[in-house]
Amino acid sequence: MKKIILSLFVVSALFQSCSSDDDNTGGNENVIAPATYNFTRNGSTTVSYSGQTTRIAMAEELVSGFKVTSNSEAVLDAMFAHEAGNSDFSDADLNASDKNVRSKSAASTDYFASNTTDANAIKADFDSWIKLQVDEVFPNWANIATAGNAGQLQEGGGGSTRYINAKGLEYNQAFAKGLIGALMTDQILNNYLSVAVLDAGSNVEDNNNGVLAEGKVYTNMEHKWDEAFGYLYGAEADPELPTLSADSFLNKYLGRVEGDADFAGIAQDIYDAFKLGRAAIVAKNYDVRDEQAEIIRELISEVIGVRAVYYLQQGKGSLTTDPAAAFHDLSEGFGFVYSLQFTRKPNSNDPYFTKSEVDAFITTLMTNNGFWDVAPETLDVIAAAIAAQFDFTVDEAKE
Amino acid sequence: MFTLRKVFWSVFVICCMVACSSSDDNPGGGNNGDGYNRGALLINMADNIIIPAFQDLDAKLEALKSSKNTFIAAPNQVNLGEVRTAWLEAYKVWQYVEMFNIGKAEAITYAFQMNVYPTSTQDIEANVASGSYDLEHPNNNDAVGFPALDYMLFGVDVDDAAILTKYADAKYATYLSDLVDQMKSLTSIVLSDWNTTYRDEFVNSTDNTATSALNKFTNDYVFYFEKGLRANKIGIPAGNFSATPLPEKVEGLYSDVYSKTLSLEALKAAEQLFQGEAYLTNAKGESFKTYLEFLKREDLVSTLNTRFVEADAKLQVLNDSFYDQVNTDNTKMTQAYDALQKIVVLLKVDMLQAFNISVDYVDADGD
Repeated sequence: MKKIILSLFVVSALFQSCSSDDDNTGGNENVIAPATYNFTRNGSTTVSYSGQTTRIAMAEELVSGFKVTSNSEAVLDAMFAHEAGNSDFSDADLNASDKNVRSKSAASTDYFASNTTDANAIKADFDSWIKLQVDEVFPNWANIATAGNAGQLQEGGGGSTRYINAKGLEYNQAFAKGLIGALMTDQILNNYLSVAVLDAGSNVEDNNNGVLAEGKVYTNMEHKWDEAFGYLYGAEADPELPTLSADSFLNKYLGRVEGDADFAGIAQDIYDAFKLGRAAIVAKNYDVRDEQAEIIRELISEVIGVRAVYYLQQGKGSLTTDPAAAFHDLSEGFGFVYSLQFTRKPNSNDPYFTKSEVDAFITTLMTNNGFWDVAPETLDVIAAAIAAQFDFTVDEAKE
Repeated sequence: MFTLRKVFWSVFVICCMVACSSSDDNPGGGNNGDGYNRGALLINMADNIIIPAFQDLDAKLEALKSSKNTFIAAPNQVNLGEVRTAWLEAYKVWQYVEMFNIGKAEAITYAFQMNVYPTSTQDIEANVASGSYDLEHPNNNDAVGFPALDYMLFGVDVDDAAILTKYADAKYATYLSDLVDQMKSLTSIVLSDWNTTYRDEFVNSTDNTATSALNKFTNDYVFYFEKGLRANKIGIPAGNFSATPLPEKVEGLYSDVYSKTLSLEALKAAEQLFQGEAYLTNAKGESFKTYLEFLKREDLVSTLNTRFVEADAKLQVLNDSFYDQVNTDNTKMTQAYDALQKIVVLLKVDMLQAFNISVDYVDADGD
């Protein structure tokens, strides 16, 4: 009898741990999240993430730069690894900024502080996509692409023109969707929500005693959490009312996953977790804070996984009838697959897929003539392998 | 501790989890379990509507080919008039087949090679100039078909005299000829497939699965109504999907005065298919309408009938030239769009739900 009761309790506890209800553990009843992500001290907002907003804007200009054939590799490299004062962007504020995208790519404390080897390899991938866009694709901008030859290909029915390498890959898509993992996801899940970062130095003591960062209205710990928030909502005009169409990166694709009825509610769950976690910092309740971090890790990882499967399945459907449309989907899928290595299984220090597992997927996709001769079965196998590590099915993700 | 209440809730939760697991197995197979004879509907569609319409289009394109040959042999005003007339007659019949994007038509992306507009005059002129082109390549989807002929016959120069002069150049004559021959060839391929193998495959595919003929055919119909008819002909030029109206995106831009004619034909074709009216005789057979009646959805049939009449009326009041209509009184265009949109909702939501058919297409990603 005791055994039965115990197992029922375990099931019950499991169920509760899956729900995002925030009343399942002791000690957090004193944390009350505000209606929106709005926190103040003495009448002034304590929320700040301008650096994240800046990097999202830089990434937007850089990705747009992939389609300007007059751009040299040096011009694009300078946008990626901007230095303060250089006129790399059309926006003067971005030019003045001392922030850049490259230094924060594959740069989280948890994953890369003691793994600069992988970090360097990942940065080298992004560098190579820039270089190859300039070297391979720009010279063939007006040529019709064929298997083994870079060029342009128009989607059927008079659709958009796609600019691809010899294997059918759009480097701009690889770069943009890869950045969703290497910059946004990695910085949020593995850096700013990391205990190592939130509790660094005297952060806990300072937060407990209301000691503010020098010259600021927030504590260091509050600010770290806000910086995580900023990589998802930093381009929103009003982060208290997110539109989820504010950028071309994680924000946009959270919106896309939210738009799939199978995943409706995920956007609110993520927003609520950010809100409650931030309120927990104000309330000095670090258990509740860390629980919210785990929720965010699981759900943002799920966004990456769903979109990877979605694009592999979308591309599969039009491989023979509309190659340009298929290659575009698969190029987006390539980027989301690449991003899987930056995901984070909750309550662990591990991604859903390791770098070597991701590299194996990429190698498979790029075998021989790449997308020109990838088999539909291959796309199914990869999609199924991805879905198997998450709590969703290929069917749920694919439309 | 382990209170009785907690145990109760645990059991309750488990029950809920079991109850929530969806059972989507659908007994009944061939008739979808609702007792309706789906095969009879497919037979009426294939034998009395689809195949006769393709036969007529094939004949009209044969006539176009003949007029075209006469014209390029003797490019004069009379022959230009003949080829234009033949083009319009074929274009009108096209409105009866564009919705049948299934079987061979789907496999060879037939519709993409027949009626993509706006056509790319840049691509057409480049093809003419080079004399070297693959008309089937997706990059040429917007340089072939009826819209490309619209440009070649009406817009390739400023007036008829100048157009005739163009055809003294063998490159233009060759491109015109290749376009027409390709359209005829593609249509023959699709028709032949219906006549030889696909008809039987089609009428026997009555299961309710994503790949069965009735599900695909019904989805194709609804998709066509939403995209090919509502959006392409009316919504896009009227600016319903953009910041400002885009009158240069109308169907039949260069001939200018046939946009309304073509749209009216398209709406008529869609309604006749819904009613199950034979292409040649207008005799009525099994159709979406009779299927709905079988399901006791006379209410939906009645509403749809009303909405078809209303949409027709909204199209009737438009200028022959949609380009002019958008520029002079775009409100009438958006009113026509709204009337068509009401039908889209009834077809896509109410009718598909009644048939227990899932929508198999999603709106494009848009990036």
